[in-house]
Amino acid sequence: MRFLVQPVPEALERARPPVRAFLAFTALLLLAWVASRAAHGALTPAGLELILEPAPGERLGPVALWEEVHQGAFLYGFLLLALGSLLAVCPVSRRVRNALLALATAAALLDLGAPLLPVALPGFPGWAALRIGAFVVAVGALLAMTSLAWATFGRETRGSDG
Amino acid sequence: MADPRIERFTGPIAAFVVMVTVVMGTAAVLFARKLGFAESQVQAFYLGSEATFAPPRSLAGLLEVAVPHLLAIPMMVFVTQHLVAFVSRARRRPFAAVAGVTSGCAAVVIAGGLAIRFAWPALAPLKIVAFVGLEGTMLVWLGLLVAALRGSEGAPPRVSG
Repeated sequence: MRFLVQPVPEALERARPPVRAFLAFTALLLLAWVASRAAHGALTPAGLELILEPAPGERLGPVALWEEVHQGAFLYGFLLLALGSLLAVCPVSRRVRNALLALATAAALLDLGAPLLPVALPGFPGWAALRIGAFVVAVGALLAMTSLAWATFGRETRGSDG
Repeated sequence: MADPRIERFTGPIAAFVVMVTVVMGTAAVLFARKLGFAESQVQAFYLGSEATFAPPRSLAGLLEVAVPHLLAIPMMVFVTQHLVAFVSRARRRPFAAVAGVTSGCAAVVIAGGLAIRFAWPALAPLKIVAFVGLEGTMLVWLGLLVAALRGSEGAPPRVSG
């Protein structure tokens, strides 16, 4: 992280090619994640309910639900850390980068937490639509962070504030 | 007071801490539901059980779980400890000791299933202890991160290359 903490122009410029390659893979990952959920039928409320809705008497919900939250949180955690850290040394206004990070984090938490609503409150209506909406917003915000970092990383020196 | 060079990373690190906490929490739920925290339950999970008609775990099935975890757990431990080393003023020896415990527990958690299934079923309690150790020490790391980000450690973070 040294080049991030001491963002001298030469270091950032040198780091731009690998950073851009990483960002390209990140965009691919996000698109593949959307495709994967679509292929599993998890982008329609009916399909999602079929996969993750707790069966009668299943007090903690299906194991698949916990596995999905487990894997999703891992993925979101690393993406938010990496993209947020890269944006922190880009010539982007603090307000914009904080807003994108907050939006992505909140939407990610909603995406992870929505399927737990019918576990905590059986019969909770609309959780599937809520989850799909949150996922779309989270991926959209992460793609916006990716694009912004792609366009601005290493372009000019930032002040210490960011 | 937080170091101004670190301040701009507070948001991303906080988001990371939240997500790692979710990962650790769901890991505990999955461990409890799939294996259980009793020696007999862990052995039954790996060796199979006539009572529940559960077959023993196959090598392919165990590797399917172990391989992604061999990347994911060390990566998560490494990044978390890296951030703690970066933003906090933790002393070198205690840092190294707890880091060693975390890594050791992670190794036992990942390899434990294979060992219980194919080498020595009596290792089941060790797997449980290692899982609890991994969760506990990860909570310590996350707590240190939160404390450092909140500037409650009483001194500026150490920033060195």
